[in-house]
Amino acid sequence: MSETICAVATPPGRGGIGIVRVSGPACRDVAQALLGFVPSPRIATLADFRVIDGEVLDSGIALYFPAPASYTGEDVLELQGHGSPIALDRVVSYILEQDVRLANPGEFTERAFRNDKLDLAQAEAVADLIASASAEAARAATRSLSGEFSRRVRELDQSVLTLRIYIESAIDFAEEEIDFLGDREQHDQLAAMEGLVKELIERSTAGLTMQIGLDVAIAGDPNVGKSSLLNQLLGEDRAIVTSTAGTTRDTLHGELSIDGLPVRLTDTAGLRLSEDPIEVLGMKRAEAALEKADCVLWVVEDADENAAPPEEYRVKTLIVRNKCDLTGSRPGFLGEESFRTCALTGAGLAELREGLKRVAGFRTGSDAFAGRPRHITSLKRAHGALLNAARELSARQGELVAENLRVAHDCLGEIVGVTTSDDLLGEIFATFCIGK
Amino acid sequence: MKYPTAFDVIVIGGGHAGVEAALASARVGASTLLLTQAIETIGQMSCNPAIGGIGKSHLVREIDALGGAMAIAADQAGIHFRTLNNSKGPAVRATRAQADRVLYRNAIRQVVERQANLTVYQDMMIDLTLKSDRIVSVTTRLGTEIEGAAVVLTTGTFLGGRIFVGKQQHSGGRAGDPASLELSEKLRTLPLAAGRLKTGTPPRIDGSTVDFSKLEAQPGDEPRPVMSFLGSRDMHPQQVSCHITHTNAETHEIIRRALDQSPMFTGEIEGVGPRYCPSIEDKVVRFAERDQHQIFVEPEGLQTTELYPNGISTSLPFDVQHEAVRTIRGFENAHITRPGYAIEYDFFDPRGLMPSLETKNIENLFFAGQINGTTGYEEAAAQGLVAGLNAARKVAGQTAWVPQRHEAYIGVLIDDLTTMGANEPYRMFTSRAEYRLRLRQDNADLRLTPVGRELGLVPEDRFNVFTARRDRLDVCNKVLARTTVHLNSDLANKLSNETGEGISKDVSLLDFAKRPGVRAEHLTASGVFSDKDEAFLVQALIDVKYDGYLRRQDQAIERSREQMGVRLPGDMDFAGIDGLSNELREKLENIRPSTLGRAASIPGMTPAALSLLSVHAKRHSGIRKTA
Ligand SMILES: Cc1cc2nc3c(=O)[nH]c(=O)nc-3n(C[C@H](O)[C@H](O)[C@H](O)COP(=O)(O)OP(=O)(O)OC[C@H]3O[C@@H](n4cnc5c(N)ncnc54)[C@H](O)[C@@H]3O)c2cc1C
Ligand SMILES: Nc1nc2c(ncn2[C@@H]2O[C@H](COP(=O)(O)OP(=O)(O)OP(=O)(O)O)[C@@H](O)[C@H]2O)c(=O)[nH]1
Ligand SMILES: [Mg+2]
Repeated sequence: MSETICAVATPPGRGGIGIVRVSGPACRDVAQALLGFVPSPRIATLADFRVIDGEVLDSGIALYFPAPASYTGEDVLELQGHGSPIALDRVVSYILEQDVRLANPGEFTERAFRNDKLDLAQAEAVADLIASASAEAARAATRSLSGEFSRRVRELDQSVLTLRIYIESAIDFAEEEIDFLGDREQHDQLAAMEGLVKELIERSTAGLTMQIGLDVAIAGDPNVGKSSLLNQLLGEDRAIVTSTAGTTRDTLHGELSIDGLPVRLTDTAGLRLSEDPIEVLGMKRAEAALEKADCVLWVVEDADENAAPPEEYRVKTLIVRNKCDLTGSRPGFLGEESFRTCALTGAGLAELREGLKRVAGFRTGSDAFAGRPRHITSLKRAHGALLNAARELSARQGELVAENLRVAHDCLGEIVGVTTSDDLLGEIFATFCIGK
Repeated sequence: MKYPTAFDVIVIGGGHAGVEAALASARVGASTLLLTQAIETIGQMSCNPAIGGIGKSHLVREIDALGGAMAIAADQAGIHFRTLNNSKGPAVRATRAQADRVLYRNAIRQVVERQANLTVYQDMMIDLTLKSDRIVSVTTRLGTEIEGAAVVLTTGTFLGGRIFVGKQQHSGGRAGDPASLELSEKLRTLPLAAGRLKTGTPPRIDGSTVDFSKLEAQPGDEPRPVMSFLGSRDMHPQQVSCHITHTNAETHEIIRRALDQSPMFTGEIEGVGPRYCPSIEDKVVRFAERDQHQIFVEPEGLQTTELYPNGISTSLPFDVQHEAVRTIRGFENAHITRPGYAIEYDFFDPRGLMPSLETKNIENLFFAGQINGTTGYEEAAAQGLVAGLNAARKVAGQTAWVPQRHEAYIGVLIDDLTTMGANEPYRMFTSRAEYRLRLRQDNADLRLTPVGRELGLVPEDRFNVFTARRDRLDVCNKVLARTTVHLNSDLANKLSNETGEGISKDVSLLDFAKRPGVRAEHLTASGVFSDKDEAFLVQALIDVKYDGYLRRQDQAIERSREQMGVRLPGDMDFAGIDGLSNELREKLENIRPSTLGRAASIPGMTPAALSLLSVHAKRHSGIRKTA
């Protein structure tokens, strides 16, 4: 039985749909956990993707291909979601909590190849593809070699190594006269490393969002000023603005950059009960846009005291109280997730931009790392292992502390290269006077 | 002159490797000859009188589980037993026995003499005959040619052995035994990559000249552990204490002043010594800030006053040894019975071996023990067992058997040696085993005795003891799985009281046992099990509590098994692979791993680089069928 792997199969950031592909023996378990059922073989099935009995992460089409009649020749599960990078990331993260690991670049194809699903010519092409993906990864790695991210991971790798030197020598050289670390010191070191990994995860996740950007939908009742807001944010007259309710029929797109954060805006048709078939179609599109957005700007008129977004939205929602010139209230940030604006003058939009940056977990350029999804996964696993190590230390389970540290070290090694047990022993002999 | 009979397997050398090799070969039914320099030294411990220790006792238990002799001999000769790492967890827990040298040698010799299919003959091998690239016979110093279908060479530190004491040096295999010079020269004419390693030993001291009142006594542990699965405390002879003392600033000063007379510092010894077994002069130089070093004073036996001062291995001149020893607390009037010395000897790069321990270049010639670059009795014995078994299997036309890294420390040992080679004498440590949590002393028999039985290594009486133990363990596991602890039942109340763990709903006893506070004695006290099940429960609970970790390791094992299945062609052009870092390219070019799994164990390797290698490997192999 081989390992089950998972990855987003569509390029990040773009595209109407995003595909998450899972391959390997755990597919049925993943389907059960995420969908609540195993779809019938090869039949496209609509489903919610959710955490067991809980939050819906995304929804879309699920397809199950039992081995061997699949792309890789193994059991394959394909989930076609709405493609928002953040939604996809959540689906993938959840799947990785099952007995599944992130696929290496080209690994699906590699498995297809190993299971004789490809001919030689295809295989050649795959090899080149992986070579270029890997060359790209290597270039990216060298780029970041001098970079802050890599320096930090290396530092962390070194601290884990240092702690392991003590912990492993306390095991293998228990009888030697070594100044072994006390539990307190081990605990402090573990806590410090755990904090560092957490920060690295946050900063590289932010960095990833900085690369991929944010999908933002503007929605609300008709005539509240959605299109005006789009135009004002873009700084150009993209959408038609009239005083007639129901002006916008189709979805409209525009892109802007907020201090380097790419934001894709979608203006939508105002949502109301309507008989007009064109308007109804427009509203369907609006709903679809809302589904795949990372964030919704829900626009209301400032005068409307009780205005609130529909509750069923599961994406992050910012409330924009527009036309504040008419109420005479001061534009700006209202706390929580509300803003007051005037789309005619642009008042309050600076605060709204800041709000979007916060949604993205924005950090200033030097603060965010150009994290790659693989790196983030490795860091998350290292983080989990360090937490376990701390727990086992409290339970005074020496060899389990050591085991978790080894796992954490291996995870960091996936980024900066593995440290073998022989390297470790070498360090131990260099550090301590050991031997009879 | 021809020896009157021909053998399936001839084992050269009666050290720890040779003994287990000869016994294993004979146990599986091959007609076996043990040819050794001196029958008196069969089972001789060349250096410290101890068997086991951390990582090493794991090997001993595995040898035992496969029917080997070492563990029982240690129980019959052990005069001081300790359990090491008791508090750190069951996987790294280890057993160490100080062994009476004479009792140990006798115990081993008795097993050898009683083994069916095994003949012992005393002489020295000096030559061998090849037919094309296959070994067919060996020739002794007396000119006797002995035919053997396979030969296992286990000549230890004897090949080209040179002994150093200060500026004095002479040839020797170890103190008191002659070196093997002709054989060393003969082997150097063959396509085998020879090198030199060194090791050393401390001076021995007459215990009647030591003031024990100044030393700290270290008695053996209670409860006293046993080494073998078949062992018992009644087998143990009288028990004695070890002692502890220390070097001091004065000792170090004497050593420092004499460094120019140490052959290791003057460059006369080229061989590399083990870093974890440094000489006292090494320690004084490399860790100059330390003002003392610990010495374990170990008895050499019950019938002698001689002592082994563990921690001051040296090759300084005798007068310096004498002066230095007398600065040590309790040794003020000590008399040295035998000076310490260093020994340099030939070894062969173990990457020239297949995992079966057959040499790649000469068919049916197997190597085991110190000549493969290892150090230690246990490491030697483990290899001996594997080489002897596989030599017999080869002759019988059967495929080789070698345990994998996740099955045994023996597997780790052989994989490390044949993959990484030996830059210094190789010793086992638990940190070398990535699957350490499953490779425990307590389960060595569960891991290996069934396969040992299939291979013919495990005789019936041992197997019966094993199955009885395994069956009782199974029963305990079944009861754990099948018993439900009902809310508010008598059982629930008893268990809560015993363990202090609350029970808020019906729970299986197995799940309850996973909780950290639950120990074996709680389960017997609650009445579900009888007292005599406690030992079994202790073991069952290890697996219960480690379940999550073990399952995660299962996945890693699976991944590595897959990677091991991907062969990297011998002529693979690593330099031409786009996307690899220069550093990795260089390492790959040097190491030339034979499988993807071996590539995975190269320092600095990343998952991305591995998938690159795997695809190139398949592309390289060219002919593929299409789907
Ligand atoms: C000075 C010294 C210090 C050591 N220090 C340590 C230490 O601190 N820690 C540790 O773990 N280990 C130490 N060792 C190593 C330990 O003794 C060996 O690892 C172990 O004995 C190796 O076992 P073996 O079976 O390979 O070889 P050996 O035990 O050396 O046995 C070799 C056998 O081969 C026989 N033989 C040799 N040549 C021939 C021939 N041509 N024909 C027939 N028979 C032959 C010999 O008589 C002998 O019986 C030391 C060894 C020495 C000599
Ligand atoms: N006074 C005032 N008028 C505004 C503001 N924002 C928009 N308006 C006006 O409100 C009217 C509707 O604006 P739109 O931007 O078309 O509104 P919409 O929400 O896109 O409307 P639909 O597309 O019809 O759903 C226009 O006449 C705008 O000029 C504002 O902040 N203040
Ligand atoms: Mg509009």
